[in-house]
Amino acid sequence: MPSPFLLASIQRLQGTAERRRILDNWKDNRSVFWILAGPGTFWLLVFFILPLGFLFIMSFSDKAVINGEVSITDYDYLTGITNYIRSVDTLYLTIIWKSIWVSALATVLCLVTAYPIAFGICFAPERWKPILLLLVVLPFWINLLIRTYALIAVFRSQGYVNLALGTLGLGPYDLLYNNFAVIFGLVYVYMPFMVLPLYATIERLDRSFLEASLDLGASQFTTFMKVTVPLTMPGIITGVILVFIPCLGSFLTPDLLGGANAIMIGNVIERQFKAANDWPFGAALSFMLMYATFAALMLRAFLAKRSAGVDV
Amino acid sequence: MSHYQPKFKTSRRSLLKGTGAMIAGLTFLPRFSLAQEEKKLNFYNWDTYIGEHSLADFTTATGIEAKMDLFADNDELFAKLKGGNPGYDVIVPTNDMLERMIKAEMVIPLDHAKIPNMANIDKPFQDAAFDPGRKHSIPYMWGTLGVGYRKSKIEGGVVDSWKILLDSDKYAGRISLLGDAQNVIGVALKYLGHSFNSVDPAELKKAEDLLIAQKKNVKVFADDNGQDLLASGEVDACQEWNGDIIQVMAEDADIAYAVPTEGSLLWQDTMAIPAGAPHPENAHAFLNFVLDAKAGMHIADTIKYATANAAAKALMDKSYTENPSIFPSAEIVAKCEPSLYLGEEATKVRDEIWTRIQAA
Amino acid sequence: MADQMKPGSGPLDYGNRLWLKVLFGLIYFMLYVPIITLVAFSFNTDKRGIVWRGFTLDNYVKAWNNSALIEAMTNSLMIALIATIISTVIGAMVALMLWRFRFPFKGAYEAFMGLPIVIPEICMGVALLLFFNETGMMGAIVAMPWPLNLANIIIAHVAFCFPFVAIVVRSRLVGFNRQLEEASKDLGASEWQTFWKVIVPFMMPGLVAGALLAFTLSLDDFVITFFTSGPETVTFPVKVYSLVRRGVSPEINAASTVLIVITVVATILAMKLQAPEKSGKG
Repeated sequence: MPSPFLLASIQRLQGTAERRRILDNWKDNRSVFWILAGPGTFWLLVFFILPLGFLFIMSFSDKAVINGEVSITDYDYLTGITNYIRSVDTLYLTIIWKSIWVSALATVLCLVTAYPIAFGICFAPERWKPILLLLVVLPFWINLLIRTYALIAVFRSQGYVNLALGTLGLGPYDLLYNNFAVIFGLVYVYMPFMVLPLYATIERLDRSFLEASLDLGASQFTTFMKVTVPLTMPGIITGVILVFIPCLGSFLTPDLLGGANAIMIGNVIERQFKAANDWPFGAALSFMLMYATFAALMLRAFLAKRSAGVDV
Repeated sequence: MSHYQPKFKTSRRSLLKGTGAMIAGLTFLPRFSLAQEEKKLNFYNWDTYIGEHSLADFTTATGIEAKMDLFADNDELFAKLKGGNPGYDVIVPTNDMLERMIKAEMVIPLDHAKIPNMANIDKPFQDAAFDPGRKHSIPYMWGTLGVGYRKSKIEGGVVDSWKILLDSDKYAGRISLLGDAQNVIGVALKYLGHSFNSVDPAELKKAEDLLIAQKKNVKVFADDNGQDLLASGEVDACQEWNGDIIQVMAEDADIAYAVPTEGSLLWQDTMAIPAGAPHPENAHAFLNFVLDAKAGMHIADTIKYATANAAAKALMDKSYTENPSIFPSAEIVAKCEPSLYLGEEATKVRDEIWTRIQAA
Repeated sequence: MADQMKPGSGPLDYGNRLWLKVLFGLIYFMLYVPIITLVAFSFNTDKRGIVWRGFTLDNYVKAWNNSALIEAMTNSLMIALIATIISTVIGAMVALMLWRFRFPFKGAYEAFMGLPIVIPEICMGVALLLFFNETGMMGAIVAMPWPLNLANIIIAHVAFCFPFVAIVVRSRLVGFNRQLEEASKDLGASEWQTFWKVIVPFMMPGLVAGALLAFTLSLDDFVITFFTSGPETVTFPVKVYSLVRRGVSPEINAASTVLIVITVVATILAMKLQAPEKSGKG
């Protein structure tokens, strides 16, 4: 936590204290409020909440039983919570737990690699910034599948890494079709979702704070840990959310890069909608996943309120 | 023109229609009239599963412009069509998926009068258990599922059993299996001497235990690229479809294919017209075209799978017709079974077994 | 805001630190090795794209002649462009509204706004498929002429892109000192003028970052597009997915390389156009 002196300086220098920022009451400016709120709310309601509603109903339904045979396409709606009961079976909970720790690890690694990048871009000479930013985002305009196949070409037994190591006399390593490959693949895929929010936050960091801290005798490392990181916390949190959650639900990367042990909850859900043709159960599993991530978000909001810091 | 309407209960349908009408003023455009079908065809097919210029030939012959979209596996096809046909006229399901779609009334009966070339179909395929009287489909290609392997890396240079893939750690970390429940559990059952389509819980449990024990030796469950893994040296033996292995055999003489003695799967791909197809007349014309001798020959020549078109086969040369990997001997065929659609309950059971195997 | 950087090596001149430069270089290198191999293999003669066999430009010719591939690429670009514009606008508006106003149930609203990010893509894809089929939108829109027949996919993309933009822009807005806004109004500017001349320039890095994010998300999306696309509305990722099951052919590498080049050129143009306004920023 920043020392009380620094905290006070921050609040003073920024004028209006962020935590007690004065927000307009919506009634004071109704027309502006509705203009701003309108399109987003409409889109969310109609093209998101409503379709989800259909799926929600589906999760409480079952495949219809017609003439003693389970139907292929028809459903009996709102029959009960059998799907949810099935989804808390140990089998699925184990898979969810595994997905959580794989995603958490990938997120942490992503943060650790993205922070220096974002930091470096912000402190680079002005004319380099857009180019560097572009260079970070560029790999992600390439199709995910192709990038993943390119990763396979890099990591396989006769891939570039092993070939390079081979010239040094080091044996071929199993870099593919295991958890290492999956985590690397996830970090690789979600990097820009971590870099961009970090960049946005670090960019508006007032460097005089860093100077003040250094002037007061703190080392670079202490300055970083006690001033820079807390001040950029909103960006860090945004980045963590933007990476952890999609990682949790991903199925293409574990499917392509993982070996026999690579199954994550995303793969199970995908299979329910395809091979198993069990849309009600797939819907229930998806909602279980959503509830879990929602809980994590609430935890984060709760913790954020309790700590002194800048609101996002 | 009638689009395939999913069969939901009326009360829900009217509620949703109300909602739909409220939201989408722009969505209810006049439908095309059926007076004259447009000269277009939307063909939904597997990748590289048609002759190099078959579609162009079709357009020359009939004046109908054909466009092809691709899907990667049967489940994708089914998932796409289940919610309503988004506009495809001809699809290519495998036999068990076709069976399921017939049951779900997702394909329309064919008018055989519009497909005179059905006479060209090879005798064994003129009727099928999964489509009696071929009311809904025409046969397209058929083949087997077996083991692709690298001769120089396998002891004895020859594979004749599922053992190296399912029951041995001799090649630990150097083998791969397919990635779906049906095909892996099915061959495990065959290896244990049961039927590919068994629903007996005891037999399924034995297969499950076998696979869980073997899992640590499997490098990867490769859905459709086992042959690439074999070719690039990632694995020495894989469970793959015969056509895939034949394609890499052409480039690498060290690779071979074998159907194990315990028996395997005999698959058949078919062509059908999904319900709600916007151009059913053109679809019939296309099916007729595919069954033509010369068109069939061109297709077989390009994709090198076993064709069910007798007239086309007659035009092919010996290197194709006598290739044991393409056309397996009668005794091998006798040991292979087709995959049957076993009902939704059985599918669910197999899926749970598969999840357990994957999570073990 | 940001002070003038002293030239040379001040304590804050991180840009000149060797360790940072090395780290930077290493990470960028790791990011680009797969890309470089991708581009390199687009010149490969081997059909399967695994082993290097020789140099050729044939793959580009084949990709150019592959009308289905070109059509998919065009669809992807068009969708990404339209979806980015719409999501950036909507996302920025939502961010502004959340930053400026308080209203009842604001917390719940924020939670709802975060839903598209929380939800697994496949869940949303299936939900939208169900929705489009039930309301008849799927059939009707697919029958419309290009580019209107892409409307389903565009709608789906905007739905999951704009919350991301909102978060990024809001993150940026937090640092805005409202005294600037008040000063502007005191000096006689109207609401609208204040918005355009004071707030928007401040938001710009956030808008750019948000737009880039939205473009990336849309261009690369596979799962949701897969479920909401039909014949003649196939996008590049969906097309590639059905092709790469047999291994990546160099043709696809060639098409991807072209797509990258197009998007890079377009972005550089966009940034150049935006650059003159960046002077005198505080």
